[in-house]
Amino acid sequence: MAKILVVEDDKDLNNAYTLILKHEGHEVTTTFNGEEALTAIKNFEPDLILLDLLMPIMGGLEFLQNYELKQKHPNVKVLIFTNMENSPEVNEAYKLGAHRCIIKSWTAPQNLSRVINDALNDKAGEARPQAA
Amino acid sequence: MVIDLMGTGVLSAEEERAQANALFDSIGDGAIATDEFGKIKRINPAALAMLGYKEKEVLGKWFPTAIVNVDETGAPLSLIDRPITKAFLLGTTISDRNFFLRKDGTRFPVAVTVSPIIHNDRPIGAIEVFRDISVEMEIDQMKSEFISLASHQLRTPLSAVKTYTHMLMEGYMGDVTPEQKRSLSTIVSAANRMNELISTLLNITRIESGNIAVTPKSVNLIKLCEEAIREVRRSAEEKEIALSFKYTSAASAKTDALIAKEILNNLVSNAIKYTPARGSVTIKLSKRAKEYIISVHDTGFGIPEEARDKIFTKFFRAANVVKRETSGTGLGLYLVKGLAEQLGGTIWFDSEENQGSTFYFSLPN
Repeated sequence: MAKILVVEDDKDLNNAYTLILKHEGHEVTTTFNGEEALTAIKNFEPDLILLDLLMPIMGGLEFLQNYELKQKHPNVKVLIFTNMENSPEVNEAYKLGAHRCIIKSWTAPQNLSRVINDALNDKAGEARPQAA
Repeated sequence: MVIDLMGTGVLSAEEERAQANALFDSIGDGAIATDEFGKIKRINPAALAMLGYKEKEVLGKWFPTAIVNVDETGAPLSLIDRPITKAFLLGTTISDRNFFLRKDGTRFPVAVTVSPIIHNDRPIGAIEVFRDISVEMEIDQMKSEFISLASHQLRTPLSAVKTYTHMLMEGYMGDVTPEQKRSLSTIVSAANRMNELISTLLNITRIESGNIAVTPKSVNLIKLCEEAIREVRRSAEEKEIALSFKYTSAASAKTDALIAKEILNNLVSNAIKYTPARGSVTIKLSKRAKEYIISVHDTGFGIPEEARDKIFTKFFRAANVVKRETSGTGLGLYLVKGLAEQLGGTIWFDSEENQGSTFYFSLPN
């Protein structure tokens, strides 16, 4: 089981992801914006980060720049969880080293577990998992 | 002596000319009149104010070089593309949107209407009327940004609705009865429909604002078609529609997989939606010299002749399908056409009412 950092400003979704991931047996730390995530990773070295892009205080792209994913944490998988389909922000996230982008509103919990496990096993998959 | 059209009495020819001049000068939009050779004969104060010229600087000059039309990239329009040239050549009124260069070299967007002046069956000049549409374009941009943000914000609660409904269905919160599961499944279907609508609005907004991200990668088109079919299989089965896929050889194109899939999903979903029960839908993938063609053929209601030239316009729904299928926004084919153009492809169709339709989608190889 993996150490997963959830960075999602929507309380309901954050709770849901945390519940599902804990149910799967992962160790989960929950944060609500990029700034909180940067603080959290000082004491929690994650295997995978579930990252929203549009958040108050510090968004996902700014977090990736500050975290220096490519340079300092190349083994950490970052899954972008966003509703900004086909947007320039998603392309930017890939440039900053994100592993995959997942559209939140298309993703069912069983797909969430699958894409996380695929990412942890370093499998490239579909960019848009479908709802069950 | 002539009759005074302004209703102030009978005027001399000189007074009438003065009144016509006053009329021309009082037009609130920019107005430029040329002779039959395209030389500027008159220009009103509104045009001079917008363009930053003095009257003597442009009067008598050849319009196409005196006042420069450019496109959105700043490149000058070729003579043949200038609305005034088209109006002269076609002998009809031409409306267009482009940009004018001011005297100081800055540009501004304009909506232009040019009409040839016909006298004794021959053109003796043209009159071009234009207005600055900078504010309209800014409002359009703001509207697009608003829709984009609103769509994104709409999706966040929708994501929560779907996620928690799935969690209930999958027993994260305890056992559910089969009846409860069916109800939860209905909630997910409704949320998916809402999600599709938001996706459509978002994509249209991005196309219209030139903000769509295209990421070309090598895409296996056979796999793409198979995925699209898999996603609609359930809805085809519900109507007992035979769904088939034919291809001749391996097909790989450098394109954006998500956009190509969106196009295909729309075409295949439409085919199923507008085909009566027990019909058939066939997807074919073939190769031409420099492109792949994906066709989606159905045995559905078809497109009436009077609707064919409007089928790709926004919010249009043909009368024969509105009667049969009430759900639908009239945005799908408008979106598909816009998306295909983003990929450098084209969309076209053949159709016979009550016989079916075939939509073709070309993708550069």
